[in-house]
Amino acid sequence: MRIPFLSLFVTSPFEGLLEHAEKVKECAWAFQQAIECHVSDRCRQFEELRREVSKLENQADNIKRRIRGHLPIGTLMPVSKFQLFRYLREQDQVMDAVKDALNWISYRSEPGIPAELEKYVFLLVDAAVEPLEELSLMVAGAKSYFETYSEKQRVAVKEIISKVRAQEHAADKAEAEIKRQVFNMDIDPVTVFHMVRLAETIGSIADHAENAGDMMRAMLAR
Amino acid sequence: MLSESMVLVFGYVVGFYMSWNIGANDVANSMASAVGAKAITIRQAIFIAGILNCVGATFIGAQVTNTIRKGIVSTDVLSDPHLALIGAFSALLAAALWVSFATWKSLPVSTTHSIVGAMIGFGIMAGGFTVINWGKLGAVVASWVISPIFSLIISWSMFKIIVKFILRKRDALRWALRLSPIFIGLTVFVVVLSFLFKTPLGKTLSLGTPVAIAIAAIVGALIGLLGQRLLIRFVPKDESGTEEVFRKIQIGTSCYVALAQGANDVANAIGPLAVIYFLVKTGTVGAKVPVPLFLLLFGGIGIACGIGMAGHRVMDTIGNKITTLTNTRGFAVDFAAATTVLIASKMGLPVSTTHAAVGGVMGVGLARGIEAVNFRILYKIVLYWVLTVPAAALTSMVVFKLLEIFM
Repeated sequence: MRIPFLSLFVTSPFEGLLEHAEKVKECAWAFQQAIECHVSDRCRQFEELRREVSKLENQADNIKRRIRGHLPIGTLMPVSKFQLFRYLREQDQVMDAVKDALNWISYRSEPGIPAELEKYVFLLVDAAVEPLEELSLMVAGAKSYFETYSEKQRVAVKEIISKVRAQEHAADKAEAEIKRQVFNMDIDPVTVFHMVRLAETIGSIADHAENAGDMMRAMLAR
Repeated sequence: MLSESMVLVFGYVVGFYMSWNIGANDVANSMASAVGAKAITIRQAIFIAGILNCVGATFIGAQVTNTIRKGIVSTDVLSDPHLALIGAFSALLAAALWVSFATWKSLPVSTTHSIVGAMIGFGIMAGGFTVINWGKLGAVVASWVISPIFSLIISWSMFKIIVKFILRKRDALRWALRLSPIFIGLTVFVVVLSFLFKTPLGKTLSLGTPVAIAIAAIVGALIGLLGQRLLIRFVPKDESGTEEVFRKIQIGTSCYVALAQGANDVANAIGPLAVIYFLVKTGTVGAKVPVPLFLLLFGGIGIACGIGMAGHRVMDTIGNKITTLTNTRGFAVDFAAATTVLIASKMGLPVSTTHAAVGGVMGVGLARGIEAVNFRILYKIVLYWVLTVPAAALTSMVVFKLLEIFM
């Protein structure tokens, strides 16, 4: 059928972006469960949850590749292609960091997290997980903004971005606290190294979420 | 030599086939944005397109058509009636065949360009290369480039205006309703103007340009204000309201596109048929022939049949594939395409509805209105547009040679 009109329309990358953000959200839940399981004494599900996160990360990778591979040269979008790809990269790195954190724990599952640090680890995890849930809201809001160009919608997305930024700040503080504590404890240096690296990896989840938020802010600029 | 009635029947058949093709192919372009934006259902689109193409063809379609479209080929070739008859046949048949081939192969060609190419082919066969008016041909070719650009500019501006004055406002719905008379009025203004300038009814009134503009402005203002009242009454007062306002207006603009399309495209099929008709009836033909109303109606019915039979499949594809077009965008596209086509046909330039619609989509895309538009399709369109004219010309030459043997 001869419809030149049709070939003008390319599948919207925002659909894929939203799908990717949903994967991040699913992953957040599994990540939180895994950490809680690891901290508690009788943990049997950790390995299962870690594999779940790996699987989700793999699916998200496929979505990412699909978005990148299906934007022909000369595609015009409400945002620049590079902004979109930068955003996607950050959102993807969020998942990578989640996966890395769980992998890092699995390399040395015994003796686990020192009891004195549990509180701070939970604080850090909470601060890192919350932005993951915000990301899908943010993408959905942005998608709707590019449809309606409504100022209200734009403000709503900007609010989500500043929320993500605040959470990143909280995560930073928790991360610093863990490091400060762990260096002043009388434990073996391997545990110190393991904890410091773990705190940094979990902290980077929030960092990448914040970067994604910043890229989103750039896309929203008028 | 075939008998007169045989020639005429054969002419009708080929003319019908060509207008059927126009309906089957071009309906997609006029109704695509409305169906894609879910302003109307597929069934409604077919109904509106069928009826209004027919009405547009019959009442706004050119009553006097240049025998050789737009004087690209010198009328010297028409001095021999026998040759002219064969020529008209070969042009019509070649254009129809080429469009059918393009349909089968999914090539984005234009019915308008096919008939122009076919006419050139016939001209070359009948009188050699000297009969081709290359300057005129250049002007026509230029209009093909200008029409999408013109449409692009209109839709770009229209969408920018909608974004700036309505969508970005805090109470978008109120602004949409407040400004709705302007959008409705503008559309009505262009329609009324083209009615006054182009239809026999308008010509018998013989109004001067300023008077016609004044009348169109008054009618536009009145209908605009009336439309606003109806919108205030029927549009839901919530978030979805803004798009809803444009959804309602878009029903109007898609009618406007169908009307413009019928008026513009019917000559592609009926022009050569009119030549055949006059050669058979009177034995001679001049530079211009009056086209009887029943021929225009015949062409309109042909287009409507094409829409009715092939339209469903086209619309179905469109409805499923174009999901990123909302009503505000659809309105901008429709308005730009129809205005371009009406202005071009007023200036006597054979432009393609397809290209006007494509230009309209690009304009909205450039105004950052669509989530993803592929601009590379432009190259493809330009390529096939360059190919269409020689291809149709060659087909026409071959058909001409064949017919010369039989007739």
